Amino acid sequence: MPDRFTMVTDEPRVDPEVIAQWQEELQRNLGRMKNFTEMVANPKEPSVGPTPRQEIYRKNKSRLYRYESRRKYRTPLLFVPNLGISRPYIFDLLPGGSFIEHMTREGFDFYLLDWGVFGPEDNRLTLEDCVTRILPRMARKVLEISGARELSVLGYCMGGPLSACFIATHPEVPVKNFVNMAGPIDFSKVGLFGVWLDPRYFDADRFVDTLGQIPADMVKAGFKLLRPTMDLTTGLNLWWNLWNDSYVEGFQALNKWANEYVAFPGEFFRQWVKEFYQQNRMIRGELRLGGKPVRLGEIRCPVFVVGAKEDYIAPAACVKALIDAVGSTDKGYVELPGGHISLIAGRGASVHCWPKVSAWLAPRS
Amino acid sequence: MADNSSTQALFDLWKKQIEEGTQAWARLVGQIGQSGQAQPPDPLQFWRPFMDQGMAAWSKLLTQGPPTPELLTQWKQFLDQWIAAWQKVLEQAMGTEAFAQVLGKYLDQWLSLQAPIKKVAEESTEATLQALGVPSRTQVVGIARQVVDLEDRIEGLEDRLGALMARMDDLFKSLADHEAAAARRAADRVAQ
Repeated sequence: MPDRFTMVTDEPRVDPEVIAQWQEELQRNLGRMKNFTEMVANPKEPSVGPTPRQEIYRKNKSRLYRYESRRKYRTPLLFVPNLGISRPYIFDLLPGGSFIEHMTREGFDFYLLDWGVFGPEDNRLTLEDCVTRILPRMARKVLEISGARELSVLGYCMGGPLSACFIATHPEVPVKNFVNMAGPIDFSKVGLFGVWLDPRYFDADRFVDTLGQIPADMVKAGFKLLRPTMDLTTGLNLWWNLWNDSYVEGFQALNKWANEYVAFPGEFFRQWVKEFYQQNRMIRGELRLGGKPVRLGEIRCPVFVVGAKEDYIAPAACVKALIDAVGSTDKGYVELPGGHISLIAGRGASVHCWPKVSAWLAPRS
Repeated sequence: MADNSSTQALFDLWKKQIEEGTQAWARLVGQIGQSGQAQPPDPLQFWRPFMDQGMAAWSKLLTQGPPTPELLTQWKQFLDQWIAAWQKVLEQAMGTEAFAQVLGKYLDQWLSLQAPIKKVAEESTEATLQALGVPSRTQVVGIARQVVDLEDRIEGLEDRLGALMARMDDLFKSLADHEAAAARRAADRVAQ
């Protein structure tokens, strides 16, 4: 007589490895449920910007911060990010995932220019003001505070062309090195934004005259349209990795940044769209700022350009154009995997991008 | 573990979907370009065949053999590739002049609608705040602008003061050099 508790069937037995895999999957699903419940029921404000810093200068909304470091190199580094669009805490997002933390740990005396969040009272601020008034002042402050005779400038995204204009028009400012990370230079190769902002279809004057400033929601809509599947991918990846606490922490910080858009001052937007996107004046040598012509050939300091292979905001070809335009003899270009943001945030950036930037700057600082 | 032929069948299906999707988008963009008018695509009609095919394929796969979590990984990879392919198709569609034209027209219409609404809203808010004796937005912005201008002027003065100080330093330095030279000459004369 068979044992009462032994089931004898003709069904094939399930492989124990498969059972173990399903148990692991079950654990992950429990983890997903736990983190999902926490995110919905008890959403925590992610803490960003972990590197200690000190505000050393302010001009209207703009701030200049110096980050604590064991200074190993004499030449200070002024970091110029984009104006408007997003907040600069992406550069110092989380411990272990921060570009600023990397650079200060490498021993660079690091200064961040935070352009700030502009209000309607700043609608008259032009790109010219930024290049001819704010940037020279910030550079002078960096030199004053650091006690150095020269400085390096690192421009990211829109900060790239702004820095290029500044260096080209201010030969009296002792810029020792210039790094352009994902900064668009040749706007004839700028991709979708270039097509959408074509003067035949986009009237920048009408926009600015009607709205005054370009609202953050509109900036957001523009960027979302550029990558319509982004939210779907983000949601899918979040669900897939929701069991992983460190992924969730990183996601929350990045998601906070990715949804915090910043308005453009009206006149700045007008000049940026018309003279850069629509007329491509900088690379053609037809741009004038503060009464001076902007000639990229006047940039003679060592130049390093970093492009990203899948950058849809500033495609690699558009960024690389700086190499041929400058008058420097010491110049280098590197094209890295990933997109616009993956140069500056995420695990890929800390492996592929940041060490290259610090390694290029170190012997020249 | 999922059957290899089933996975291959899935990827073949996916390729077919992409090809059909590309053709559908090309047709859609072509229509917009030809007519010059924004014809909103019908998403339900567009997506239904893909969803039906996908569901049929997955229900077939799930009935074959004991499923493992690897099936989920394959499902995720399938979705990632599917989204990436769609992104590429959308990019191609959005990179056309026809799309830029449609977008431009939409924004123009939005501005035409926005301008009078904004004007009316601003005027009524202004009137209400004035009636309540509260500073209006225009007044607050005006004051903020004055502060910004004042700051610029102070900075201008700082710059000029800095330049003057630098010149004065130079002057003091050359004066000190002159005095030292005069003292040396006087000392030479005494020595002679």
